[in-house]
Amino acid sequence: MSAVYALYPDPDAAQRAVNGLRTAGVAEADITVMSGEPFEEQPFAQRDKATWLWYIACAGGFLGLTFSTWLTRMTELAWPLQTGNMPIVAWWPNLIVIFELTMLGAILATVITLFITAKLPRRTPDFYDREVTNGKILVGVQNPSAANLAALEQALMAGGAAHIKRS
Amino acid sequence: MSEASSRKLSDDLLRPLLQTSWRFYVLVAFLGSIVLMGLGTWAYQMFNGFGVTGINNPIFWAFYITNFVFWIGISHAGTLISAILRLVNAGWRRPVTRCAEVITAFALMIGALFPIIHLGRPWLFFWLMPYPSSRLIWPNFRSPLVWDFFAITTYLTGSVLFLVLPMIPDFALVRDRTTGLRSRVYGMLALGWQGTPKQWHRLESAMSIMAIAIIPVAVSVHTIVSFDFSMAPVPMWHSTMFGPYFVAGAIFSGIAGLIIAMAALRKFLHIEEYLHPVHFQNLGKLLLMMSLLWGYFVFAERLTVWYGNESAEIQVLRATQKGSFAPLYWTMVVVNFVIPVTILSIRKLRTITGCVIASCGVLVGMWLERFLIVVPSLGHKYLPYSWGTYRPRPVEILITISTFAAMTLLYTLFAKFVPIISIWELKVGEQETHETALQRSGRALGEAHP
Amino acid sequence: MHKWGMAVDLDTCTGCGACVTACHAENNIPTVGPEQAARGRAMHWLRVERYWEGDFPDVRLKFRPVMCQQCDAAPCEPVCPTYASHHTAEGLNAQVYNRCIGTRYCANACPYNVRFFEFFNPQWPKPLHLQLNPDVSVREVGVMEKCTFCVQRINAASIDAKAEKRELKDGDIKPACVQGCSVKAMAFGDLNDPESEVSRLSRSPRGGKLLDDLGTRPKVTYLERQTQV
Repeated sequence: MSAVYALYPDPDAAQRAVNGLRTAGVAEADITVMSGEPFEEQPFAQRDKATWLWYIACAGGFLGLTFSTWLTRMTELAWPLQTGNMPIVAWWPNLIVIFELTMLGAILATVITLFITAKLPRRTPDFYDREVTNGKILVGVQNPSAANLAALEQALMAGGAAHIKRS
Repeated sequence: MSEASSRKLSDDLLRPLLQTSWRFYVLVAFLGSIVLMGLGTWAYQMFNGFGVTGINNPIFWAFYITNFVFWIGISHAGTLISAILRLVNAGWRRPVTRCAEVITAFALMIGALFPIIHLGRPWLFFWLMPYPSSRLIWPNFRSPLVWDFFAITTYLTGSVLFLVLPMIPDFALVRDRTTGLRSRVYGMLALGWQGTPKQWHRLESAMSIMAIAIIPVAVSVHTIVSFDFSMAPVPMWHSTMFGPYFVAGAIFSGIAGLIIAMAALRKFLHIEEYLHPVHFQNLGKLLLMMSLLWGYFVFAERLTVWYGNESAEIQVLRATQKGSFAPLYWTMVVVNFVIPVTILSIRKLRTITGCVIASCGVLVGMWLERFLIVVPSLGHKYLPYSWGTYRPRPVEILITISTFAAMTLLYTLFAKFVPIISIWELKVGEQETHETALQRSGRALGEAHP
Repeated sequence: MHKWGMAVDLDTCTGCGACVTACHAENNIPTVGPEQAARGRAMHWLRVERYWEGDFPDVRLKFRPVMCQQCDAAPCEPVCPTYASHHTAEGLNAQVYNRCIGTRYCANACPYNVRFFEFFNPQWPKPLHLQLNPDVSVREVGVMEKCTFCVQRINAASIDAKAEKRELKDGDIKPACVQGCSVKAMAFGDLNDPESEVSRLSRSPRGGKLLDDLGTRPKVTYLERQTQV
């Protein structure tokens, strides 16, 4: 897998590079940006913000709710043992267990979805440069078409990169 | 933030990982030996029978349950700082969040050991888990101990994930800064993190959801721990106030633990530049508030018991305030309330040292408070013929000490292998300060983009 | 369906302690030794509580045999995580030793302090092991135990009655304490049978329950001692 990219010292330079790439005809989804910290203020960081994660968390919570309601009721009826003059299916105490497993469902659903959508875990990142965690911002294109290569490189240089890198 | 200052931040905060002095090894060896002694003591107890403890009839719960409640209480530090401050967007939390979350994770693990240590037949602890067993029987969901199992499992899972998720970008940083085996190990831990906007967004959304989810779980956990007491008809246990009382006490002891941990880190890892006196002052103000809240709960509970004049409860009240437990009780009042309120209300005294002194007092006081909830009530139940006294035996004392050593050891090891301050979050904080400064000076941020 | 209960006449009881000894013998209860007893670990499933009232020379002694009250709303039952403590259909609070993991929560919840914990593995040096009752299990270290109303005798009598195709009569079953009482101060029987001795005694105007106001609904009726004039 090949890529052409450059490293930029600050978010403004990176934004210029992204703009340049877009004018060079690269689709939004093909532009790769990487940074060592999130840059919420920058337009280039606004992509992929919309997420279904909240709904999935709620769904996970609902799953936990149904599972725990079933578990408590089923086990209490499976071998009904009288304790302390309480009903066999005791809803007040069951609510406590139901609450806990609901929250656990929401938490686990969130984490699992995070891993899947962020494409984690992977042994090593397929496209990466160590300078990213040194404070540089990486802007580039993965699998560039050979025809466009020169235009891409020009756009990247215009952003203020020192040199182009290839992987 | 400029590249140079960003690099300096990374350098400073990665130094503990990349450089080790002989003092580290000595500390680990010392703490490790105490922990081993504790484990050996537990093995001795399991082998020789529970009678080697000081437990008797009627005081069937004492040190181990005190420790259980104490450590679960300490674990509320992380949640308060990380989750609540994250949700209200308090910027000063950034250097503090991971220190706090680590306390939560380890305190929970230690606290969760005690329900196993205090069992008569600890090798059967797994009967608390609901699984289809060949005995065809399930746990009794009406029992507060089974609620404990679910609550602590949920809280532990949530806290560990809450701790570990924001560590991923920092693991990527260490992966990139090191070579060889270390780089490969951290690379695996970093799970292939790249830092694309999508990954950042997902991570931050997940953190927000977890922050919202973990707060009610934390409140429920210590409430459920308090239900271990309030669901039994024991004088001065069967109180409707125990839920909020315990949660307030937990947050109180948690903040105290956090202040001590932060002060130690600041001194031993030389991160004075990142943990400023203002952090301690803010935490000190929180500690003051919790001390007042704790005092309010204790007052309300005891006044109610005194007015209620129920004969058994009055005996317990008297035993703690005037009787055999009075020295412990009044010590608790002094170190939990009088000293912290004094130190923390006076601005000149609310220094790092002042906060640490108050916090040490609070830890002692809160341990005593748990003890004074458990033992005097059990010793003075409804039939005076069966009243009893308790004296701890070496087994219990040694295991208690070893848990403090275990906590310190785990914390030390953590700070050696993971940056104790969340580097990327600190960088974001610097960004925000920088941008606020720019805005204030009236300059536009970057060019407008279509 | 039977509902087992007991009645103890405190006027007749002399506090001799024969019931305590009988209970020990019947139920394989270990004697813990003077050192452990001094530490509060004596295991008397049935004990005779003594209270002294007043100052010399107007001292009065009150005593009362206290055993598991087999409460109908037992606080020890909901708190057991493994259902080791639960209620049977015949109204007994059952303690299942094999399910017990020794959390000791039931002992804390019991307001009568009638639950006991095996702190060590009980020892019966030879030839004392010969005195063990084969109908009753010997409990190992780490489990809770308590008075069962001699459930082994209840079961034995029930099996016999079933085999002989007859109903249980009042007086067929005598727990060890009832049998051992030197002055016949204790009665055991079916509270669901209005003609049984224990039902009759439970209706006595002298009758009362221990710690009645706690809502545990105990099934042992104590007939109070008449005031000495």
